Amino acid sequence: MRLNDIEGLVLPAKKDEEFIKVNFAELFSYDFKNTQNYNFDIMGLEIRKDTKKYANSLFEITKNLDNKQVVLTINSNIPEPICLIHKINEDETFFTNSLKIEVKENVKASVIEVFTNTSTNSAYCVNRSFEVNENADFEYAKIQDINDVNYLLFNLDIDQKDNSKCKVTNFEYGNGVIVNNIVNILDNKSCDYELNSLVKSKDSANTANVIKTVHNGESSISNINFKHSLKDHSRTVFKALSRVNEKAFYSKAFQNSNTILLSNDAAIYAQPHLEILIDELEASHGATTGTLDKDQLLYLQSRGINKNLAYEILLKAFESKIYDNIDDKLIKEFIDSYERKNYV
Amino acid sequence: MLEIKDLKVNINDKEILKGLNLNIKEGEVHALMGINGAGKSTLVKTLSAHYDCVVTEGSITYKKKDLLDLDVSDRANEGIFMSFQNPIEVPGVNNSYFLKTAISEKRKYAGEDEIDTMDFLKLIKEQTSKFNLDKKLLQRDLNEGFSGGEKKRNELIQLLLLDPDLIMLDEIDSGLDVDAIKTVANVVNAMLDGKKSVLMITHYDRLLELIKPDFVHILNDGQIVKTGDYSLALELDEKGYEGIGIKDETK
Repeated sequence: MRLNDIEGLVLPAKKDEEFIKVNFAELFSYDFKNTQNYNFDIMGLEIRKDTKKYANSLFEITKNLDNKQVVLTINSNIPEPICLIHKINEDETFFTNSLKIEVKENVKASVIEVFTNTSTNSAYCVNRSFEVNENADFEYAKIQDINDVNYLLFNLDIDQKDNSKCKVTNFEYGNGVIVNNIVNILDNKSCDYELNSLVKSKDSANTANVIKTVHNGESSISNINFKHSLKDHSRTVFKALSRVNEKAFYSKAFQNSNTILLSNDAAIYAQPHLEILIDELEASHGATTGTLDKDQLLYLQSRGINKNLAYEILLKAFESKIYDNIDDKLIKEFIDSYERKNYV
Repeated sequence: MLEIKDLKVNINDKEILKGLNLNIKEGEVHALMGINGAGKSTLVKTLSAHYDCVVTEGSITYKKKDLLDLDVSDRANEGIFMSFQNPIEVPGVNNSYFLKTAISEKRKYAGEDEIDTMDFLKLIKEQTSKFNLDKKLLQRDLNEGFSGGEKKRNELIQLLLLDPDLIMLDEIDSGLDVDAIKTVANVVNAMLDGKKSVLMITHYDRLLELIKPDFVHILNDGQIVKTGDYSLALELDEKGYEGIGIKDETK
């Protein structure tokens, strides 16, 4: 099965501005021996047909191969995060999977997802849809730890109702080819949306984050904050578009990308982008790329800390800003204790 | 303890130190004074292996070792402490963690065990309460958002806990109020046990009144041009550099 060969499936072209610099060629042209729906390890969940029209064509890949959507409805506050662990073991297989998480009115909930694999030349193409209802507070964390010569295409569509809060934190640890396609159309009022990511790449990891946020309703906040620490030959794309439309008065839209390049061969293409159609708002965007601060390194060394340890301490300080932003103590503990070997 | 011979140092290909000689013995307190741009900070930065400073000629012997063979952290672990004129802010690194790591690194360098948490907390409590230093500084990130005075007090906490043999104070009195200068003096004087040595850079007599130097050196155009005892600092305070025959070579 080649994605390029699927009739009626319109895939992003190399020249599409929205996905420019994203490495799709290998994934779209690779001939997978099998396709398979990856089932959740939770019994009794509702299954619906996914009929939603999404903001871009990447959502259509999973829909095209299997339009069944598993629905996880959270009706009351849950004291502990729901953990969903995904392990891909089969080689040469294209997996699909679609999950909608509905957090009902006034409910506080959290979910953790982990994506790992032991496979070779396999792909995992997932659609996630979050519906965060009025006054609900939803925190989601994802660990991606997909190996070399494997793909993960993670499509996330967020729908927030009035006064809802949605915080998404991604930890990108793997060295496969990864595309995160994250869309939030803020149609409603006073929504609080936060997207934080740590992209910690090494070897020949190739990670792309394509983020689209549209403010249509009044007084909503979007805060997108990415930290990249890139080693070896790793490559990363950060493309964030935040649009504030005419009726989205008093919005706040922030984007920030900070990158530390830890080798001469690591590279990032960072493009934060704001489209603002009104005056009554707060907005900012920025991207920095550099190495570790040599004065900070010197300060630590001047107190007897050897260069390698000083380097590690500063790198951890940079990366931990994403971890520190997590609200849920149990999610923090999970992330803190995460080790790949326990999940493969 | 420290012997500097004919030291020549460049910064950005410009010669700043032009054949400096200085000898500091165990237990001695030396003050280094001079007009702005004379090379005072360059000297202490060179001693602590700052990346800006390129030694082109001369030698530095410290505790019978060639100091120029040692990197920044090794010099610190051999007992050299430089109090920074403008301590660097390091967001994300907890001050207490940093200090415990530094003490452990020093111990490891000396072939000893790392400090355990209980001993570290005990040491902090003992040393900070002795000099009325606010140990809450240790709960924050390293120098992040600290006022000028807090940064200098944090340097003092590091100085106390790392217990160096050669204490170099680069204008530690700048921007400090009278009480804070007294605290600096109390800390340094309490540490002077006849074995530790001090090299302090200052523009003002105030600090020297409180930490009496054995030697006062006047640095001009990259060389020590005059050496005396504390009375030289008093004379300088009264007459100024021109009054004691020092011509500003940078003009």
